[in-house]
Amino acid sequence: MIVKEWCMYCGECAGVCPRNLIEVRELTLKFTEEHCKECSLCIQVCPVKALEQE
Amino acid sequence: MVIKTDVLVIGAGPAGSTAAKHAASGGAKVLLMDKKSEIGAPKRCAEGVSNGGLESLGIEHNPRWITRELDGVRLIAPDGTNVWLTSDKVDLPEAGCILERKVFDKYMAMDAARAGAEIKIKTLATRMERNDEGFLVDAECMDEKFQIQAKIVIAADGPESRVARWAGLRTAVKPKDMESAAQFEMAGVQMENNKCIEFYFGSVAPGGYAWVFPKGDDIANVGLGILTTITDKSAYEHLLEFVKNCPATQNAQPVELNIGGDPVGGLPKKMATDNLMVVGDAAGQVNPLTGGGIISGMTGGMIAGKVAAEAIEENDFSEKKMKKYEKECRETIGDSINKYLKVKDYMMTLNDDELNSIADVFKDSDFEKVSTGELVKNLVKVSPKALIKLGKLF
Ligand SMILES: Cc1cc2nc3c(=O)[nH]c(=O)nc-3n(C[C@H](O)[C@H](O)[C@H](O)COP(=O)(O)OP(=O)(O)OC[C@H]3O[C@@H](n4cnc5c(N)ncnc54)[C@H](O)[C@@H]3O)c2cc1C
Ligand code: SF4
Ligand code: SF4
Repeated sequence: MIVKEWCMYCGECAGVCPRNLIEVRELTLKFTEEHCKECSLCIQVCPVKALEQE
Repeated sequence: MVIKTDVLVIGAGPAGSTAAKHAASGGAKVLLMDKKSEIGAPKRCAEGVSNGGLESLGIEHNPRWITRELDGVRLIAPDGTNVWLTSDKVDLPEAGCILERKVFDKYMAMDAARAGAEIKIKTLATRMERNDEGFLVDAECMDEKFQIQAKIVIAADGPESRVARWAGLRTAVKPKDMESAAQFEMAGVQMENNKCIEFYFGSVAPGGYAWVFPKGDDIANVGLGILTTITDKSAYEHLLEFVKNCPATQNAQPVELNIGGDPVGGLPKKMATDNLMVVGDAAGQVNPLTGGGIISGMTGGMIAGKVAAEAIEENDFSEKKMKKYEKECRETIGDSINKYLKVKDYMMTLNDDELNSIADVFKDSDFEKVSTGELVKNLVKVSPKALIKLGKLF
């Protein structure tokens, strides 16, 4: 997952990830990529379009 | 290093701090942790609360965290029709105020500290594992990694709701139930009445609404929530469009951008299991119609904190004991959340024309008092569609 520089770490993406793969730190976003099923829900809900599938 | 505690509260938002306060006042050893370096910031909130709600939690108004006392509500239909529900028109307008969440959230955490809770900030929970004594939680604070052994975990981690899922509860939110929100705090906002909260309905905010909540004579939170399942634009793009067109913001400038998710799908099926309770946004404790979750989350937190203290005293951390929280919670906030879920579903079916015609009737109606419930009662009177869907409930 590509996290754009303008991500604000609000955590909305983490709340919808069905596999609970997104760790939202204060100023970093960490994905457990190996379990990602590429459902794109995290990308869809982001209020500032800060995520992009690689 | 392993730190031992009776109760670990993960997340120091209003729900978590309230849980920590009540657990500590009840005699439990409590640790409250938050990943942020500043509790309450950045805010993900329009900061409106009802006075009755604060009162029910036993919290007295404090000028440190109140920016504005409110005098009423203005509803704006897509065609610009206004419905004014202010004290000169209504006998009992819903009294409320606008908070400064950055101060309020800290103040609530300080209350928890005064009740005896220990607080760790800039401390993130990364995972946890069940064991004989409860949960062993992995935590990180800067370059320090350590573990916390807790008999009870209270998951108060907000809309991310990862903690309860580590314990096997199903608290993930579907995009159709997650409002995606964006807001500017602005100066130079020209409000027709700067003591009124304003709600804009219709296609300005698909699946939600836009708001102007005054924080000062010309200061306001201007924002909106949308459902990303029914629009291709992001919340931020909708917000830019809204402030470009809204008469009040023509000369306004932003000083802050806030974004976040608001879970509006109602309570999950299960909010407690052995050694764990989930509270606040993490448990969908939000009015699905308004998106308001401060008071309901704190109510959930209060009940969970009390049950946690009791459980520690009785040395009983079973699911049966934790379910006492769930039961009380469903009784105090669950019923109303379920009712407003139905109203939200109904509102979602209305197009701009239908909203306009409802506003047209509402604008000359006499309301005795204003509350969300009272508004829906009147809606049922004027809209046959509403009567069919909601008549029995209100
Ligand atoms: C744009 C917007 C406007 C809103 N407007 C209103 C309004 O006007 N009125 C109203 O009543 N409600 C409003 N709400 C809802 C309200 O903000 C929430 O319901 C409320 O903040 C929920 O409180 P909480 O304590 O459950 O969670 P939060 O306030 O989200 O707190 C959760 C805390 O947990 C911490 N955390 C998360 N994960 C971890 C971890 N792994 N380790 C450590 N710490 C962690 C976070 O840092 C955070 O501090 C709005 C929401 C949005 C998005
Ligand atoms: S929803 Fe968007 S802005 Fe918020 S944390 Fe996720 S990627 Fe960042
Ligand atoms: S694409 Fe789906 S599974 Fe992958 S991180 Fe995003 S929400 Fe989770």
